Amino acid sequence: MSALRFNSMHFMPYAHLPENHKELKSVWVDFSNRNYDPDKGYDLYQRYIKELVLADQLGFDAIVVNEHHNTAYSMMAAPNLIAAAVIPQTKNARICVWGTPPNFMLPNRLAEEYAMLDVMSGGRLEVAFPLGTGMEYWANPINPATARERFRESLKIILQAWREDGPTTHYGQHYTYRFLNPWPRPKQRPYPPCYIVGTGSPETIEIAAELGFGYASVFVTKERCKELNDNLRQRAGHHGHTIRPEQLPLLCFIYVAETQEQADREYTVHLQRFFEDYVRTTPHYLAPPGYLSVDQLKTRAAAADKMHGNFDLNLLSKAFFISVGTPDKVANDIGQWSETMQTTHINCVTHVADMPHWKTVKNLTLFAEEVMPRFGSRSGAATRVAAE
Amino acid sequence: MPKFARESLTVDGVKTVVYTAGSGEPLVFFHGAGTVDGFDFAEPWTDKFRVIVPYHPGYGESGDDSTFTSLHDYVMHYLELFDMLKLDRFNLVGLSLGGYLAAKFASEHGHRVKKLVLIAPAGITDPKHPMLDVIAMPGDQMPGLLVSNFDVLKKRLPEKIDLDFVGERYREASTTARLLWEHPTDPKFMRHLHRITMPTMIVWGDEDKIIPVQQVETWRKFIPNADIKVFKGAGHLVHIEKPEAVEVLARFLS
Repeated sequence: MSALRFNSMHFMPYAHLPENHKELKSVWVDFSNRNYDPDKGYDLYQRYIKELVLADQLGFDAIVVNEHHNTAYSMMAAPNLIAAAVIPQTKNARICVWGTPPNFMLPNRLAEEYAMLDVMSGGRLEVAFPLGTGMEYWANPINPATARERFRESLKIILQAWREDGPTTHYGQHYTYRFLNPWPRPKQRPYPPCYIVGTGSPETIEIAAELGFGYASVFVTKERCKELNDNLRQRAGHHGHTIRPEQLPLLCFIYVAETQEQADREYTVHLQRFFEDYVRTTPHYLAPPGYLSVDQLKTRAAAADKMHGNFDLNLLSKAFFISVGTPDKVANDIGQWSETMQTTHINCVTHVADMPHWKTVKNLTLFAEEVMPRFGSRSGAATRVAAE
Repeated sequence: MPKFARESLTVDGVKTVVYTAGSGEPLVFFHGAGTVDGFDFAEPWTDKFRVIVPYHPGYGESGDDSTFTSLHDYVMHYLELFDMLKLDRFNLVGLSLGGYLAAKFASEHGHRVKKLVLIAPAGITDPKHPMLDVIAMPGDQMPGLLVSNFDVLKKRLPEKIDLDFVGERYREASTTARLLWEHPTDPKFMRHLHRITMPTMIVWGDEDKIIPVQQVETWRKFIPNADIKVFKGAGHLVHIEKPEAVEVLARFLS
């Protein structure tokens, strides 16, 4: 089997929900920022950045940051700032900004910031372009009903800015550039590895297929992920691109401990809080008008109706990529998933909700030392040779 | 709508469904940002008028056109449709968003509008009495806000809300968002209202929870000769809550 690549992904949640938070229908969009204490925020930023840096030191192939607004789910309203803070403290890990929705930034500005990060990191940047969740459209002054066409236009501008020697021009529906000529240019030519990140709507799959981008699926079931990866391969082929296994990062929730019992005891409560509390929002915020096609809305509404019920780790683990347990168990799960999904790119969520620092450090360390070496990754190469 | 004949036309590439009934002078009705309230209220008009009820693109039975991003696109659509229907001059009645559209049409093409009726029209920028931001309201809260007496609307809603119904409402909300997400009102709209010089009536319910009835004062300022009728105990859908409102405006148009 080919070597796997491992990312450590962080959401940087604001892990101090108010006592009455169960009464809130959403911790997104209208969850008041008076609940944000900057002093606690300072401590969390210090700590989370350490956890990202540790992932590099332990030999993870990449660290992943992402963008969300108006929410305790994530303190990364501007993930490029986090990437910039992390770059000088890391040496080898790819820096994945997965990513800023292009609709919420001027396209030239985003091309510039990503190019800066790529040059600053010596060519370690990877970019994923999200349309942005429905919730982000309530927070930003961009029309969700025209978001998909704006998204396409933004991507065209960014790629043109990176690919072609400037100045060039762009006269489009949403933007006009008389001198598209951003300085600096990316170090990686023609541009850093790019993905679309999303939940697999046919529209975003088609964009990735057209551009030959990878697709980083998030929060999809195993079944859906398989379908989505197959669709992308098929649609990309139609557009003359071949999708490589490393272009299909598989998002999974991972926790490793010495025994199964210990892993369950240490982790389950945090995962439960993640699913019950930190992602909690309303259907209205999830799907602002115009954000989804009517067909997609109906498909998702039907799926949401089936999801009701209490938190059940076993059921969740059957449906989603969640592996909690000993190094053997986790390695076994990952081996199976990578084969079934035909990917070599494992995107591990290593911290969730209010998980304390020590558990994150333990999880990262055990995973890097006990699991990764079995798949021929960078940190594990020596161990593997010794074992053979 | 038993009395009405359904016709499906293609207007500049957009499927447009038009219901027509009655005979007499033409009366065009522009519906609002949703179509659950139906058009049966208009039946009494068919005794005296040839009533023409088109579905706007993106609503009800008409087709979608994602290039319609401003009210002006709808004005142009209706110029095309009215030419196709050989409607040279007609009475125009508009409800809510349809009132905004009717007033815009009348301010730009006044020579084609014989008389104008605006029912709880949108479009006014009034910081003291702003319109409810309907885009921010979850769909399940809307029905209760549309009327004072919910029973009137309840009988027009399906007994069981199914996925198709939810999908259809989402589609109409999406059309409205395409028009109004960035700018729920256009301050420049009011600048041209003085061009509305045909006989005009404005009808409102004094318990309107969507567009405050106080906005009639702004309309009065721009259209000083407008005949203003406020119905007590009625909400936004005054025309279905108060059948007498339908009669009053029919008399005005006669």
